[in-house]
Order: sequence, then structure tokens, then C-alpha cells
Amino acid sequence: MANLAQEIASYLSTKSLSPTPAWLSTFLPTIRTNTPLPALQKTALFRLLATDITQSLARSPTSCFPATVHDATVRERNLTGPLAVQVLDVEDIGRSCWSQVEAIEAAERGETTKGREIIRSVPSEQETAEGVQAAGAGPHKVLLQDAQGVCVYGIEMHAIEGVGMGMSIGSKLVLRDVVVARGVLLLNPGCVTVLGGKIEGVHKAWKEGLKERLLAKARIGEEE
Amino acid sequence: MGKILCVAEKPSIAKAVANHLARAQARNVNGVTYVKNYVFDYNFTRWGASNVVFTSVVGHIKHQEFAPRYSSWNSCDPLDLFDAPIINSVVEDKKAIARNIEEQARGAQALFIWTDCDREGEHIGTEIRDIALRVNPRLDVKRARFSNIERAHVINAATNPISLDEKQANAVAARIELDLRLGAAFTRLQTLALQSLISQENKVISYGSCQFPTLGFVVERYFRVKNFVPETFWLLKLMHEKDDIKVNFNWRRGHLFDRMAVTIIFERCLAAKMARVTSMQTKPTSKWKPLPLTTVELQKMGSRFLRMDSQRVMKVAEDLYTKGWISYPRTETDQFDKGMDLRSLVEKQQQDADWGPFARNLINSQFRQPRSGRHNDQAHPPIHPVNFVVRDQLQNDEERRVYEFVVRRFLACCSEDALGESTNIEVEYGGEAFRAHGLIVIQRNYLDVYPYDKWESSQQLPRFDVGETFVPKEVQMTDGKTTAPGYLTEPELISLMDANGIGTDATMAEHIAKIKERAYVMTRPKGGGRAGGNGEVRLTTGSRGGRSGTGRGRVAGDSGNAAPAAGNSGIQEFIPTTLGVALIEGYDNVGFDTSLSKPFLRKEMELQMRAICAGTATRSDVVHQNLELYRAVFMRTAQQMNVLKTAIRKYIPQANG
Repeated sequence: MANLAQEIASYLSTKSLSPTPAWLSTFLPTIRTNTPLPALQKTALFRLLATDITQSLARSPTSCFPATVHDATVRERNLTGPLAVQVLDVEDIGRSCWSQVEAIEAAERGETTKGREIIRSVPSEQETAEGVQAAGAGPHKVLLQDAQGVCVYGIEMHAIEGVGMGMSIGSKLVLRDVVVARGVLLLNPGCVTVLGGKIEGVHKAWKEGLKERLLAKARIGEEE
Repeated sequence: MGKILCVAEKPSIAKAVANHLARAQARNVNGVTYVKNYVFDYNFTRWGASNVVFTSVVGHIKHQEFAPRYSSWNSCDPLDLFDAPIINSVVEDKKAIARNIEEQARGAQALFIWTDCDREGEHIGTEIRDIALRVNPRLDVKRARFSNIERAHVINAATNPISLDEKQANAVAARIELDLRLGAAFTRLQTLALQSLISQENKVISYGSCQFPTLGFVVERYFRVKNFVPETFWLLKLMHEKDDIKVNFNWRRGHLFDRMAVTIIFERCLAAKMARVTSMQTKPTSKWKPLPLTTVELQKMGSRFLRMDSQRVMKVAEDLYTKGWISYPRTETDQFDKGMDLRSLVEKQQQDADWGPFARNLINSQFRQPRSGRHNDQAHPPIHPVNFVVRDQLQNDEERRVYEFVVRRFLACCSEDALGESTNIEVEYGGEAFRAHGLIVIQRNYLDVYPYDKWESSQQLPRFDVGETFVPKEVQMTDGKTTAPGYLTEPELISLMDANGIGTDATMAEHIAKIKERAYVMTRPKGGGRAGGNGEVRLTTGSRGGRSGTGRGRVAGDSGNAAPAAGNSGIQEFIPTTLGVALIEGYDNVGFDTSLSKPFLRKEMELQMRAICAGTATRSDVVHQNLELYRAVFMRTAQQMNVLKTAIRKYIPQANG
């Protein structure tokens, strides 16, 4: 059994994930030991990606954000990693919140549902005249949390596959050689590995509250 | 010599065609002052030398109404109108016209129908035929196929008669029956239930299956404008001066809605100090000449450039057609038949003082075959001038404007695309991309005759080389605010109706006029209402913006540009009245899928009309199916009348009860 734990832990470390002994010990009794090892390793990864990493990953100085990560006086620093984080929030900062609210409401009315009839819109004169760019391209701003529960914002400088409004809250990312500017992570495809996963409850709450949050955020400007 | 009875759809066509065929004598018709019988001799290919009587109707002769016991509003449940018997009879004030046809048909050998070549014309043709055949069953019935009132074309139509198209007539019959039943049933239902709630006691709250979706579009946009929330965005601007030319580079990201992100990026740009040219491309570009003119396009351009609403444009165009100056103005076709002699049409325009030289130039060397669009209604060519007329001879300024537009559009179609050279420079600065775009127009070509399109040279850009580095003269972080979309304009409304299958090109203008007449919407000149937003911020607009995609995600508010100066364009914008808003919201609350404010049901009906024309559906099937669909909506509406009442009370505060 100890050997099996070892095999699983070493597989997970190839993904830059190091679970706590406590998590491993609750995982092991739930599996059948006659299952082939590769399958067990996959199962372990799958289960781990569905956890809250503040509960399931070991905290070491290199696998967590440094204590000074938020320091806004630092213009630029580098985080070597690898460092596993989970996504707590994602925003599309390329589109206005209101336009996102409108899109959500259109979807609620069923206008975007496939197989149902859609009211075809035509670009307004204003839109035509302005040559509005296609929406939904991002970039995205994400809120990332490490194993010790520290949260840092990241900005998607270049489009990263798997990062977007469709991603699950609780998705795990691994960061390597990331530039931190004024306490914000500058994310590029080269420094981010998207492992996936989801924290079911948190994701559900996030999704349900999305429209309200966008509305509230859109209205902040109104009072100014 | 045998006698041939010819019947046109309107007196003016009868007169024009008769005079093209021969020197015709006008005779009065008993009981109607505006219809004349034109009498002359003519040698038809089909019937030989004949005595001809050329008369006309005035639109439809018959009308459909419910049997008398259903005609009073209190006589029956409005639901009964879905199956109530319908009586088809000659309209009271058209009886003299029908009598004239009967009299003239009696001794005739053939009936030659000259109604307009569209669905409605086909149906009117069957009405004429039925009246004539009842008194003379041995008539040889034919119809003329024509799309303008130019002499050679008319003679050609007289030489090659064809048969009436029963299918198209059936489609119209189906539409008439559905409009009658649905219009009456829903109008009675909603008027009886809601009338007491609105202040005008005797006001009829009319329903029409096209009117309501049309109103729905206006209300939808109204809410988008009303609910709009402006937001601040931030962006970077880069300016560099080279060879004494100031070049503005736009940030490839456009703008972002997060101040922190833009601030950080801005700082990194400044820290990078040097910008590097990553690409410099100069390539030939062109602005395509317009497509041949369709009705929908004419109506849109009318509100944009000719200061007329769609209904007015159609009326004027129809007058020009009747007088023989332009071709039939109701057409979906945006491709000219390859065999059509376009050059001779261009030739006729050479005498004009303004565009004559341009036309002459086309004839001498520059003539090009027009582009072909994707639509062909198989009945009429695109709208084009058929004859030259000195503009002073036209009746009024509106006729002159429409004629001028039709001619210029046609000459533009026969001309060459405008040619230019576009330059795109892209620089990298602190990891961010910035772009400058320049355009030099080299040959204006069709633009010279078509002032409705704009394509102008920008400043000349200095030369940059790839790899070249420089310290930008100015880098700025600025902000702006999103602005609400404008209220729906008439061209936008027509586009929406067209895209969603509401009405046909021939009827859209009527539906728009109807919702104004019913006081469901008001119009006012665009640009009267709201402040223009942030005037400082300008983003590049592609020179071919008009041809880009039409995805739903394109939200005006996102672009942050100031609204284009539209105050003086004469375009009207539509704002719903409280009653209009209340009705649409009420029906939406009863149920979205089949809401009468949505285009789905009507679009389906429109498709089925086409199926009848194509011979893939029958009139009775289509009527039956649609009645069942609408009957379900009717029942639901009747059951949930309280939902409608709530909406009325919400928007019309003085509502009683």
C-alpha cells in the first residue's frame, strides 16, 4: 500500500501537484487495488482536480506564492514555480459588463439555444459605422488561489486555450516562470498549463451569481 | 376581326400600354370617372388583327367578409371567427368596374390580363378572369408578362402572352383569409378586453400578424436603449512623427474595461521605451460598386439619402414606373439577366447634364457588367431606369430625387469598382501591438456617379521599414464611456423585417405605416434625443465595415465611439408609445415562444406562402395549419388576459379599473 501511495504521488508530481498525506490516505481506501496502476493514477488526478487545493495540496515555499507577492511597489519580478493554483473567478475585460448581461438575458430567453428559432439581429447603423470588433475575445482577468489560500489576480496577456468565460470555477492551473507586475500575474500560453477540474459547489454559486455581479459592476460607473 | 379585352391593374397602366400599342381612343365607362376604356386595333401574334378594348380595374375588385351574423362585435365569441363562413363579393364601389368587365367580355374572343407581375397581380388577375368567364366561358384567357412600361418591352409582352399562375394567386388567397380571420379575432379579443383600460373609449386596438412583430422590433430596441448602462473603458494611444507626418497608432486591443490591467500594460510599454516596426504592408484594395437595386434596398436608401420614408419612396417609385421612366419597383432580384441590353439603357442617359458625361464614358470604354447578388424572384429585373427624362419634366422634387437615385445606382452598377491602395503598419511596443492604417484612393470610378457611398483618402503615411525602431513621440492612456445604441431607424427596421421574414418587399412599408397610424409608435428625426457620448475617442473603422459579419454579439455600447453625427441626415427614428410597449410586454409575458410580438409565427406563414407558389403546399393545408397554430395562441391569450391587463396598467397609469 505504501508503495502504491508512492506511485500515485510521483505520478501527480509530474503534473506539479503534491497532495497532502491526509488527502492520499483518504483517497487510497476508496480504490480497488487490483485496478491497473495507470488507471488508478488517472483516478487520483481526476479526484484531486475536483478538490479545493487549500485542503488537498501540500504547502511548500516553492509551490505557493511568496508572502510579498502582492507588493505593488515591485514593478516586475519572476515566479519560477511550478506552482499549482485554482481559479476562483474569471472576467472578460474586453467586453463591457452590460453587453455581457444582455447576452446572458438573450440566452435566458432562449434566443441562443440551438434548434430553437432565433430572432436575427442586424448590426445597427452605429455598429456598422464603427466597425465594432467581434465580442467575446477577452482578454480575461482571473483570480487565482494557491494551496495556502492566497489569492492573486492574473491577466491573460495572450489568449490561453482553456481560459475563458466557459471555464469551470475551481479549475487548476500550473504556473511556471510567470512575470508578476505590481502584484498582478501576467499570463501567457507558455507559462500556464491548464489541468482542468472544477469545485462543484463553488462553480454553481459563481454561475448563478454571474449576472447579478456583472450588473452591479456595470452600475458602479453610474454613480461616478 | 375578333375582339380582345385587355385589363390592367390600374388606369394609368391601361393608358400607357394602350398608347404604346396603338393610337388609342379613350371612352368613358359608366359609373366610374377614373377608369377609361381605350379602343384601338392591333395585330396580335396569337389572335391576329383584332379590335381591342383596353380597360383596367383599380386594385382588388372583390373583398372577403364574415357572414352577416358574425359581423357585429357582440354577435359571437371572437374565437368563432377562426371557422366562421367567409363571403367573397364585389366591393360596393367597384361594382361599376366589374360591370364594365362583364359588358366588354360578352362579345370578346380573348381576355388578356395586364396586371402587375407579382403575387398580388396574379390574384387580381384571377378575380378579373372569374368575372369575365361567368358571362363568357369560351374566352381564351392569357396574361402579359412585363416589368416596365417602356414601348419595346410592352410590345414584346403583347407578342408573347403566358398563362395566369394559379399557385401565386392561391398564396394570396391564403394570406387574405388568414389576415382576415386572425386580424378580426385578435382585434376583437384585445379591444373588448382592454379598451376600458385605456383612456380613449372607442379606440380599436387593432392586431395584424405583421404589424405586431414589426412593433416588437421597435419595442425591443427601445428597451435596449432605455436599460443601457454606460461603462468606462481605458485604452492606450501611440503617436509618432516621421517625415513631418503625425501618425496615430491604435491599440490592437481596442480598449479594456479594467483600469488596473491597462495601467500595468501602460507602465510596461513606457518601460520598454522603444517601439519596433513588425510589419508594413501596402496592397491594392478596392471598394466594390453596389449591387443592382432591390425594393428593400431602395426603401433603406430612401430614408437615408432621399429624405423620404419607405412608404413615400415606394409611392414615388411606382409613379415613375407608371410613367415609363423606371422598371417595376417591387423586386427582390439583385442580378441582371445576362441577355439584357444594359448598354442601350446607359446610352439613353448620355443626354443628362449631370451624369451624361459619365454615361458617355461608360459607352465609350468603361462599361462593365454589373455584379450579381444572390436573389432572383424570377419575375422582375433589378430596379433600373428604362427611359431618359429631363428632370424638369418630372412632377416634383421627390420624383426627381428618386429618379436620380435609380439612374445613379444603375450607372454605378455598370461601372468599375473604386481602386485604392491601403497601407497597414504594425508596431510592437512593450509587448503590445499598435496599428496604423492608411488609404489612398487611386481611381474613384463608380464613386464619381454615386455620391451615396463615401470612400476617401486618409493622410499619406510615411515609409517605415520592418525592424525599424523608434521612441514614440507620444504615448497616452485615456478613457472613454460606452454609449447606448440609438432608437431603431427605418432602414434598420426594414433590415430586421427582411432578415426575419416579416412582410414581403412589397408590403413592408405598409406595415411600418400601419403601426404609426395605430399610434403604437411615434417617429422623430434622429439625433434629437441623447447626448453623443465621448467625443474624444476614435477607433479605426475598417473601410469595408459594411460587409463584415452580423453576429449577435456586436454591441454598440462596446465600441466607445461617439455616435456618428446623424442630426442632419433626415433619418427618422422609432419610439414606441406607452400602448405599444404595453401590448408587446403583455404578449411576451403570456409566452415567449409563440408571442405575437415575435417574428416566428409570421415567418413560418410567409415561408408557407412561398411553398404554395412553388407548388409544394396547398392553400387549404396552409390555411388550416396556421389557423391551428394561432388558435392555440388565441386560447392562451384569452385565458391569461389578466397578464395583458397588468401590462396596460403598468404603462398607462390613468388606466381605469
